[in-house]
Amino acid sequence: MEKLEKPYILHMFTPEKNLSPFDVNMALDAGWTSAIPYLHVEPQDIQALVQDAIFSRSPGGLKRTGIFIGGRDAKMAVDMVRSAMKSMVPPFEVSVFADPSGAFTTAAAMVAVVEQALENHFHTTLEGKKVLALGGTGPVGQIAATLAAKAGAEVTIIGRQLEKAQAMAHLCDSEFGDGQTQIIGDADAHKGDLITDADIVFATAAAGIEVLSSELIALASSLKIAADVNAVPPSGIAGLDAHHRAHPIAGSESGALGVGALAIGHIKYKTQSALLKRMRETTHPIYLSFDDAFELAREFARAN
Amino acid sequence: MQKAEKRSVLHMLDPMPHVSPFDINMAVDAGFDHVFPTDNVQLDQVNGLVQDAIFSRGPSGVKRTGIFIGGRDIGVALNMLEAARKAMVPPFVVSVLADPSGAFTTAAALVACVERQLKSRHGDELKGAQAVVFGGTGPVGIATAVIASLAGANVTIVDPFNVDHALDKAREYNERCGSTMVGTYASSDADKARLLAQADVIFCTAKAGVQVLNASVLSDATQLKVAGDVNAVPPLGIEGIKRSHDGEPLLHAVNAAGALGIGALAVGDIKYKLQNALLASLLSSETPLYIDFRRAFEEARRLV
Repeated sequence: MEKLEKPYILHMFTPEKNLSPFDVNMALDAGWTSAIPYLHVEPQDIQALVQDAIFSRSPGGLKRTGIFIGGRDAKMAVDMVRSAMKSMVPPFEVSVFADPSGAFTTAAAMVAVVEQALENHFHTTLEGKKVLALGGTGPVGQIAATLAAKAGAEVTIIGRQLEKAQAMAHLCDSEFGDGQTQIIGDADAHKGDLITDADIVFATAAAGIEVLSSELIALASSLKIAADVNAVPPSGIAGLDAHHRAHPIAGSESGALGVGALAIGHIKYKTQSALLKRMRETTHPIYLSFDDAFELAREFARAN
Repeated sequence: MQKAEKRSVLHMLDPMPHVSPFDINMAVDAGFDHVFPTDNVQLDQVNGLVQDAIFSRGPSGVKRTGIFIGGRDIGVALNMLEAARKAMVPPFVVSVLADPSGAFTTAAALVACVERQLKSRHGDELKGAQAVVFGGTGPVGIATAVIASLAGANVTIVDPFNVDHALDKAREYNERCGSTMVGTYASSDADKARLLAQADVIFCTAKAGVQVLNASVLSDATQLKVAGDVNAVPPLGIEGIKRSHDGEPLLHAVNAAGALGIGALAVGDIKYKLQNALLASLLSSETPLYIDFRRAFEEARRLV
């Protein structure tokens, strides 16, 4: 009789009090047999949990075992991946994928979609472009800023408070940028000046906050693409609809195009699903973070 | 059309913040379709949780339902096992396995491996043997001591520092389990040598990465027949026993003719098979099972 293949087990760690049901659905739909939640996980718990997970299955079974790291905090998730990597005892090793609040795949999708729209409609790249990440102090803003800066853009993270925006810009450079980024932090109060020569706007604020008003759009004489990750009305960008895919923005004298949350979400969904599947199918353990998400999101955006 | 069998469910109750990923992998690999971890379980919640689990599936469904009790403390686990047993309402009855930190299956496997060598190579048995358990006040040590004592050995548990701790634990578990172990401490090599001089059997269940018995101490053993060590992290617990040893000569016991060593991988192999078999038995048994280290030992004897 043929021996039954071992089931796929995904151990899902989160520092929060709940796992995201979105991520659980994604994991099961990507072919994981069991999605097991671990709540209130702190960074110092990682080593024991990882080593407990790797020692009860044979090397064949470990190929069918994975770890997902969720939560809300990008730096904590990145730290947890590093800590998980250090806890492996080869050949007892499993793949790890971090995507806190879906921020890594969302940011990757946003930057990839914007990059593709730049190429399709303006025949140019992110290299040297002035990018404003509005409401950019959250996890999606941090990672979108980092990915755009790594692709050569001059990125400014804008938040309500100057100190916080500067701290986040510094965090991105020191924790996520691999020494390749020099992101600037600035305050909402200076938005009116900064928008005048901005090429690209990422709107990554909380739902219901309009971070790019029609007044600001009228001042944005170099604006090419504005993208918004908020799918819940009102839009973060005046006049933008969640369905828009490189759709002209009303009142833009520079002919700027808008990218809405559903266009980004489509690529985000494909990217997260593909990464969850890649963990299942890989023969060697892999550690997946926002850079891997961006690489994949670019492929999906190009094919879209 | 034949009605499909109900899917199997294992409810995993744990007093700690996280159910062990090790046990979750084991449960899935033993054939449970769904495993549900419940963390931070207090003793007084066990009754409610068990009754909640037994009343929703009907008499055919309860046969496809099991309960696992984890944690780190064997006293707490035994109390929870008892509370679970009392919570059953026939015919709504499910099987329960307690194995906190894997201590019950590890101890059962250790004693069974040692007993096998004692019988096959020395023609001896545990009954009447002088057994010393180093690291005897930890979870694996106590379970080992109870199993060996109930099998008829004269057991001494050894705490590395504190004689009161050893005496308290011996008294507590003798009352609870009907064993007859005694407690002592051994902080110096001289203390250990005195214990070794009288020992037929040694169990080493001390902390991982700590050498308890060095070559010089081992030379004081005169009637030692078998020594088993569960420490898999170098330095190992007993000098000269390799992890893979399963009845190889005990190198440094130069004054005990025919003394044999058993290492952590030999014990681990049986422990793994044992835990797998016990988890599977929760589903296959016609009558409900309540499994602690005593029942685990019966199964381990069959496996070796």
